[in-house]
Amino acid sequence: MMNSSQARSLGWAAVLAICFALVVVLSFKVHAVRSEVLLAERQLIALQREALLLETEFQTRASQRQLAEWNTVEFGYSAPRAGQFLDGERQLASLGEVRGPGAPSPIRLARAETGETAADVASDEPMRSPVSGAKVALASASAEGDAGAVFTQAFGDFLIEASPIRPARAETRRAAKVAAAQGIAE
Amino acid sequence: MNIMAAHSAAPQTPLSVTPVIPAGRMAGAGLRAQLLWLARVRVLWLLVGFALIALIALLRIASLGLVGQAPERTSLEDALLPPRGEITDRNGAPLARAFPAYALWFDPAAMGDSGSPLVRSPQEVAQALKAIFPDIDVARMARRLASGKSGYLRRRILPEEANRVFSLGEIALEIPRETDRYYPQGTLAAHVLGYVVEDKGGQLGMEQVLQDRLSHPDQRVDPVALSIDVRVQGALEDELRRGMLATNAIGAAGIVLDVDTGEVMAMASLPEFDPNTAGAAGAVNVFNRATNGVYELGSTFKPLTVAAAIDAGVVRDLARQWNAAPVPVGSRSIKDSHSMGPSLNVPQALVHSSNTVTARVADELGPERLRRAMIDLGMDRRPFIELPAKGRPIWPQGAWSRVTNMTVGFGHGLAVTPLHLASAYAAMVNGGIWRPTTLMKVDPTNVPQGRRVFKESTSSKMRQMLRMISLYGTGRSADAPGYRVGGKTGSAEKAGVGGYNKTALVSSFAAAFPMDAPRYVVVVVVDEPKGTIASSFQRTAAFTSAPIVGKLVPRIGPMLGVQPDDSRDVDISDLRYLVDKGK
Repeated sequence: MMNSSQARSLGWAAVLAICFALVVVLSFKVHAVRSEVLLAERQLIALQREALLLETEFQTRASQRQLAEWNTVEFGYSAPRAGQFLDGERQLASLGEVRGPGAPSPIRLARAETGETAADVASDEPMRSPVSGAKVALASASAEGDAGAVFTQAFGDFLIEASPIRPARAETRRAAKVAAAQGIAE
Repeated sequence: MNIMAAHSAAPQTPLSVTPVIPAGRMAGAGLRAQLLWLARVRVLWLLVGFALIALIALLRIASLGLVGQAPERTSLEDALLPPRGEITDRNGAPLARAFPAYALWFDPAAMGDSGSPLVRSPQEVAQALKAIFPDIDVARMARRLASGKSGYLRRRILPEEANRVFSLGEIALEIPRETDRYYPQGTLAAHVLGYVVEDKGGQLGMEQVLQDRLSHPDQRVDPVALSIDVRVQGALEDELRRGMLATNAIGAAGIVLDVDTGEVMAMASLPEFDPNTAGAAGAVNVFNRATNGVYELGSTFKPLTVAAAIDAGVVRDLARQWNAAPVPVGSRSIKDSHSMGPSLNVPQALVHSSNTVTARVADELGPERLRRAMIDLGMDRRPFIELPAKGRPIWPQGAWSRVTNMTVGFGHGLAVTPLHLASAYAAMVNGGIWRPTTLMKVDPTNVPQGRRVFKESTSSKMRQMLRMISLYGTGRSADAPGYRVGGKTGSAEKAGVGGYNKTALVSSFAAAFPMDAPRYVVVVVVDEPKGTIASSFQRTAAFTSAPIVGKLVPRIGPMLGVQPDDSRDVDISDLRYLVDKGK
């Protein structure tokens, strides 16, 4: 039989042993986490380097000289003219002006119904390269199914989520007011 | 210890009672006890051994777990620190950066034995390399591989090529990864950037100027922003190149300068070089025409002379008629290229670029005051710019004679760099403050104060007259609609051995836009243009350099925040009648 002091010291020893075991386990855990951090850091470094590589490749392929050459050969964009700029909010607002009383009605252009859609017209004449004159097969044309449908299926939900303009809010207050005013006028 | 004691104490008891004379059963019992004791001791030793080994193993694991060094710790900053700092444009687009590249290195000792360094014969390996790099010479490469000397087989190879070399399976063909200085924009702004030679550092441009900053361990983390805007630079080089090729010129230079801060938004010199391929062997076309080439820039100096005269009070009434007859100077006389009537006022003289009237204005101003104005504009010393390539102007020494004064008045007898001219024009249109030009991005709140060269009123008059030159005069082909460009043409014969060379011309155009509130100065210099179909068989600035500015300004205006506007312009109503009489 052991007396109370023996039992106490045995108890202390047990507590000490448990604490020591816990410390050992904890330090192992700390070290494991540290290794994970190190691994993550290495991955970060590798990804940063890859990003640098890809960014540099992009910069090289889209260098100013290359862009200018593409513009000369393919696109033919020219510098914007004065008429293409708006002077400020006031000029922008003037574009949405409600037609005043007695003002001449805006010119409307008629369009004959030929029974063919824009897609039919486009498919008659395949796109030709402006450089060689050879027929160009668009990637979307060779893909199975309608390109627009494929795109919508793939990215539609994502774009709706990402778009700052929600369908419900697409109509601005100003446009609504104009529509209401026209409704009253007519 | 307790266990040990217990074990050792137990066998001791039978031993102590063993009788001296062994008898029958007792002897057997004694032997048995002895054997048992021996076995127990052995088991004990075995246990102790196991315990020791377990302890050692545990200690080892604990030491590994607690203090063991994980496979060399590299910090994120250290790993991503480039060996040489990055150079960017003012908006952060990289112009020069450290870029990991692959080289092809031949290491004959890689196999680690005394046999052949290659698995196959050198001939076969050379053939295989030829399939990857079509430009190599098989025989030479085979000799190189057979010689057994280590060294670079190729300095730079593409990642795809590296993969194909790797798949050859030759251990001696190593693909070390090296950091290279790379210029993503290729030849763009080559004269501004310069290039880097391994072991020698930056050469020529800002690479040389910023050598310490770019290689400093603490500072190279942050990229250095230049004042250049890469889009403007691209447009400038594109238009300059087109203009140079169209007129069959030997070279061209262009500068776009911010008039209020002195920042160089774009600076180009053609023909250019490719800093990616320039190395220890140097580069061709390193001569920077914009900061190192000194030219007599001709009539582009006339507005400066007139500005000095207005500032000094010599020209007060712009309607005053000046004698436009040839000015006799000694045995020769200063003439106009074509007669424009017996007398002209100052705005007309600028619009039609009259040498005679400008010479008379300079004469009335006097050599000392014109010289003072030119010194104030920094024409007597190398241009203020960081680049090491700075041309020393050809400056008339000593006190200026009457002839020198008059010829400098219309831009002869004094050769300066195009950057000098851009800097002077900036001072003339920005309200009269001259500021040093810089290629480093300037903090808008910390713009250098500069020094006053012209009065505010003089600058305002000059803005009107420069605008009139491009409305009615020789600068019409630079008048981009909506951008309110004002500028002056200049065509000067190149000075050669024994006088002026009649066939070699330097045509220049110095302009500022928008003239109602000038923001940028554009200077274009075309070196030795020829009369071609594109320039209507003319060599003068109105047909060679002014159209370059006319095409350039609409391209760079919106990028630089200048919006074209047909309804705005500098008010020239008070001077218009002086030039535009009949119209």
